[in-house]
Amino acid sequence: MSKLEIKDLHAEVEGNEILRGVTLTINGGETHAIMGPNGTGKSTLASVVMGHPKYKVTQGEILLDGNNVLEMDVDERARAGLFLGMQAPAEVPGVTNSDFIKTAMNARLEEGKKVKLFAFIKQYDKAVQELKMSEDLPHRYLNEGFSGGEKKRNEILQMKMLNPKIAILDEIDSGLDVDALKIVGENVTSMKHDQLGLLLITHYQRLLDYIKADKVHVMMKGQLVKSGGMDIIERIDQEGYDWIKQEVGIDDERVIPKDDKELVTIGTCATKEALDL
Amino acid sequence: MVTYTKNPLINDTIPKTIESLIADDISHYLVIKDGHILAKDIDIEGLYIDNFDNALSDKIDVIQKIDDTKTDVSDAFKYVKENATSGIFVHVQKNTVIEPPLHVFVLQEEHDMVHNTIVVCDENSQLNYMEYYQNEQPSSNNIVNQAIVNENAKLTYTTMNLFTQKSVLDVNRQGLVKRYGTLTFNNAEVSDALSNVNTVVKLVAPYAKSYVKTVAITNQQQEARFEQLVEHLAQYTEGYIENYGVSSDTSALVFEGVGKIHKNMKHSIARQQNRGIVLSRKARLDANPLLLIDEYDVIASHGAAIGKIDEEQLYYLMSRGLTKRNAERLIINGFLNPILDALSSDKLKTLFIDSVARKTQDL
Ligand SMILES: Nc1ncnc2c1ncn2[C@@H]1O[C@H](COP(=O)(O)OP(=O)(O)OP(=O)(O)O)[C@@H](O)[C@H]1O
Ligand SMILES: [Mg+2]
Repeated sequence: MSKLEIKDLHAEVEGNEILRGVTLTINGGETHAIMGPNGTGKSTLASVVMGHPKYKVTQGEILLDGNNVLEMDVDERARAGLFLGMQAPAEVPGVTNSDFIKTAMNARLEEGKKVKLFAFIKQYDKAVQELKMSEDLPHRYLNEGFSGGEKKRNEILQMKMLNPKIAILDEIDSGLDVDALKIVGENVTSMKHDQLGLLLITHYQRLLDYIKADKVHVMMKGQLVKSGGMDIIERIDQEGYDWIKQEVGIDDERVIPKDDKELVTIGTCATKEALDL
Repeated sequence: MVTYTKNPLINDTIPKTIESLIADDISHYLVIKDGHILAKDIDIEGLYIDNFDNALSDKIDVIQKIDDTKTDVSDAFKYVKENATSGIFVHVQKNTVIEPPLHVFVLQEEHDMVHNTIVVCDENSQLNYMEYYQNEQPSSNNIVNQAIVNENAKLTYTTMNLFTQKSVLDVNRQGLVKRYGTLTFNNAEVSDALSNVNTVVKLVAPYAKSYVKTVAITNQQQEARFEQLVEHLAQYTEGYIENYGVSSDTSALVFEGVGKIHKNMKHSIARQQNRGIVLSRKARLDANPLLLIDEYDVIASHGAAIGKIDEEQLYYLMSRGLTKRNAERLIINGFLNPILDALSSDKLKTLFIDSVARKTQDL
């Protein structure tokens, strides 16, 4: 049974604390969704779990099946079963999609073993078809010149090929038109099984029309400030986030406010917190 | 004028590495070692290819004409012309289009290499010519490659060099392109030698075009310098210079590309692009793209982008389970990909990729 445990996670980038105590457990078979306004730390959480070198964990733990993820390098995390469908995946000129994914699959095998070429091609072509991507995809360079939607589909294609234990999909729905959203949503749903833990980061209810979530969390100021069922999403969709902000007593939900940082954090927030106590 | 004396051949066996390159993968090849042709399997109508022994009598009229057009040349160039011990002459007749690529393996075993290749493409002809250079032991290697592209002819002249450590390599390439002619000079440089490769292309008539593409990898204490000068000596000429470099360990790699548009050579285009990856803190990679333009009505651009391996690319590949080393390999190979298309057989491509891997193994 796969299990990802995030406990009181704090992380910073360039000296700014972005994650301020995130606690979340995802079990195999469960689908969680994280929603939240821009700049509240959602992508940062995903990056920290995957091990992006820019972020520094200052407190807390991440465990995958009981193993300390924070001690693993990015590639070890991936081979241990973590997958992150990125909000903005890199472009890698000169490296074809198929070479890349083949190398990634080989990396999961024992030393010296390789994926069978024929089986690989069959599996890849099938995934390309299921995602309704263009047939020259295997020979195109990794994400280079891809449209926003193509990049997102390519992330899902990689997930299909790599069959992770825990998959985090960061805004896999943004930049997709209605048809593409349906395709991506249905493909993700078809991958669900009782060993796969899914974490969807999204701004829109419409993704969850295709991928049912068991639990919904709302992120603000680098914390999960509210958790519940699908009903939260419906309300967010209709009313926005104000009601949650009021509930938890937050005025500015961003981790790093755009305006004068110090003035806002020390002035407004401190007062608010005091009042709501 | 060429003067030419051959050294005696000590050992007439073709090295195993070359045998395996030729085996089933390559047709239309010639192997020349220390100036002596060891194997030749090229018989195409309208094409003359031979060593200087025969060419200097068979084709002396054509060769003499070339020397008449030659202008300012370096001492190294003159040295090879006067002291060549190995020479290949290629002549494509008028209106002859040669589809299959030719492969010439130029080898050094006993003596220092002083080699001269001359390729002449006559009016409306086309040729894809690939030269592979290798030495068996440390040596000093002086090479002149000359390309004459006559009216409306197209020549792609690709070289791949694999010289050993402690060798010295001095290459002078010179191209002359006439009206509507196109010359492409590709260079895949995976030598371990102390290298100096100097390329001069003269676009001497309107609509002449040239592409000079260099891919080089340096490692350990290697130093390599690549200079390209494309001279626009007529209106409506186009010159493109592209350099891709990877330097690792404590090596130093330099690209000095110059696009020079002379006065009145209106409507010409000179473009240059340099890209580089520096793999270690002590490695150096310098690109000094230069435009010398004495005319307003032209299009010109130059740029250089040099840095470490992109951190986001590395993270992305590793996030799919590739080890850091494999991810770096893939990124470097992808980066050098522009030259792979120019290598005319799968075995040569593999040899290139393996050589890159060898030269970047200490990452
Ligand atoms: N690599 C980084 N360098 C500097 N600041 C960063 C970095 N990553 C995140 N931040 C900052 O951390 C805050 C949270 O960013 P994050 O991308 O996690 O937000 P998000 O919730 O995913 O927003 P969105 O909904 O817009 O994707 C922002 O203020 C952002 O500018
Ligand atoms: Mg985000």
